[in-house]
Amino acid sequence: MTGTTAQKAPEARSPAREAWRMYRRNLPAVAGAIILLAIIGATLYGTFFYGGDPFEIVWAPHEAPGATPEFPLGTDYLGRDIVAGLLTGGGPTLAVGAAAALITMIIGVSLGALAGYYGGWLDNLLMRFTEFFQVLPALLFAMVLITLFSPSLWTIAIAIGVVSWPQTARLTRAEFLKIKELEYVTAARAIGAKNGRIIWKVILPNAAPPLIVSATLTIGVAILFEAGLSFLGLGDPNQMSWGLMIGANREYILDAWWPVTFPGLAIFLTVFAVSLVGDGLNDAFNPKLRER
Amino acid sequence: MTALLEIEDLRVTFNTRHGQVTALDSVSLHVNEGETLGVVGESGCGKSITALSVMGLIPSPPGRIAGGEIRLDGENLVGASDKRLRRLRGAEAAMIFQEPMTSLNPVFTVGEQIAEAIMLHQKVSHDRAFRDAIELLDRVGIPSPESRARDYPHQLSGGMRQRVMIAMAVSCRPRVLIADEPTTALDVTVQAQIFDLLNEIQRDFGAAIVLITHDMGAISEMADRVAVMYAGRVIEEASADNVLDHPLHPYARGLIDCIPALGREETDLKEIPGVVPPLHLLGEGCAFADRCAHCEPRCLREKPRLVTHGNHPAAHPAACHGVEEGRI
Repeated sequence: MTGTTAQKAPEARSPAREAWRMYRRNLPAVAGAIILLAIIGATLYGTFFYGGDPFEIVWAPHEAPGATPEFPLGTDYLGRDIVAGLLTGGGPTLAVGAAAALITMIIGVSLGALAGYYGGWLDNLLMRFTEFFQVLPALLFAMVLITLFSPSLWTIAIAIGVVSWPQTARLTRAEFLKIKELEYVTAARAIGAKNGRIIWKVILPNAAPPLIVSATLTIGVAILFEAGLSFLGLGDPNQMSWGLMIGANREYILDAWWPVTFPGLAIFLTVFAVSLVGDGLNDAFNPKLRER
Repeated sequence: MTALLEIEDLRVTFNTRHGQVTALDSVSLHVNEGETLGVVGESGCGKSITALSVMGLIPSPPGRIAGGEIRLDGENLVGASDKRLRRLRGAEAAMIFQEPMTSLNPVFTVGEQIAEAIMLHQKVSHDRAFRDAIELLDRVGIPSPESRARDYPHQLSGGMRQRVMIAMAVSCRPRVLIADEPTTALDVTVQAQIFDLLNEIQRDFGAAIVLITHDMGAISEMADRVAVMYAGRVIEEASADNVLDHPLHPYARGLIDCIPALGREETDLKEIPGVVPPLHLLGEGCAFADRCAHCEPRCLREKPRLVTHGNHPAAHPAACHGVEEGRI
């Protein structure tokens, strides 16, 4: 036992590898990942197999799904192909969702971590700043931002990020406040770790589970937000997106259910898959569940 | 020869809602290389604050070192830069905590955590540090260290975790090791093992150990010298045998009387009446006065100083008017 200690080159199993091992065993999480990958794959490569401009009028309006084999999900009020719309519209929707969630997490986690860890006047300053953003009605504020800087995928993503980070900041701060009092943080300090290291390598990994869940929820919220903005006509008009499809077709919902239902289902499925993945990640990064 | 670690007239204050309280009041201690100093006292006597002061880990605010010096190998740590303190922590002075259950980071493997500690102070590759970590685990008596290194803290028993903490603390061969009640949370049988390990580590590494405890049994087993603390002051100091055999201060006597002895038929255990007074209620006189059977008017008026009284061979410093007057 003792003799072999020094020789064998030990490979340190990284937390990421360990988490992946856990994740694979979680059936709903794997299903979520497969659905999500399928959606991403379809929006990235779908147009190679299923050509067609989503803005082009190709057929009579309101052709029901299945009525014409060429247009399996039918056409919208202008006679545009819905499948083409779904495939090309998914990319921007997902991109905006992911980018907005990323911006939210970067701003929220950094400010929350600094406020929670250092406390004192910095905490006060950052929290007042956060509250300033929190009391603004999110949708209205986002609309103002988007109309100020002409609507494009980037401005939409940034606007969503800017209005949604305060919650993440508060959550991160609360986690930091709780964890920084724990003994292993003092122990880390006692072996000479720097503040930055304690924030990143000691507290953040322990604060990760709720943050990961919150991140995945934010992706879902951001996708819905984008859909809502497009629905209100504030999306990028030159960019097909699921929200835009719903927004454009909403007036005719009583005549034709399908032009709004399919993009709606696509949003639902995406958000659902993302939250399954989030739950799976949460469990996978929790070492206490690992021997199960 | 100057001592390796010298604390002189250390004063630590805390701002609380009762105003400013003095948690440590002119505390002076010293430890030599290879020596074990036991610091005893009940909870709230300032033992842990002393330890945290040495490590520069007093939570500030509300805490503050208001005066005095802490010299590690001649270098004063009070007022040293954060950067300097960080260098010293872990490398020159390391600490073992009371609760092995909570003093390890739950999301990393124990090997990983020891490797991190090594890499903080030594320029070595991660692989090398991890190998060293395994060797350290082996050194502190953890069976099959190679697979244990990949375990998470919650997969280990309390005793094992304390061994891991010790491995982490000695990973950079510190010269001063502060053990803050290292066995309080452990089973009695495991306690003895941990003490043996600390003794061995001391022999091998030549470290000075400051053992903080309220357990007089631990003192008799481990310590060369003892400092008894009460309400933020050192009230008696001498070699361990001397304090155990000839305690002077009534508080030290009380602590020793509290040790239950096997085989002695006692219907009730001895205890010291009362509790350590809250720091904000400390008055003019001796802090122990209201619990002391030998209290006289002078004790309520005047704080006793820590000096040797008389010239008996076992005489040693004790802060008590009764001892000074030969009443006790």
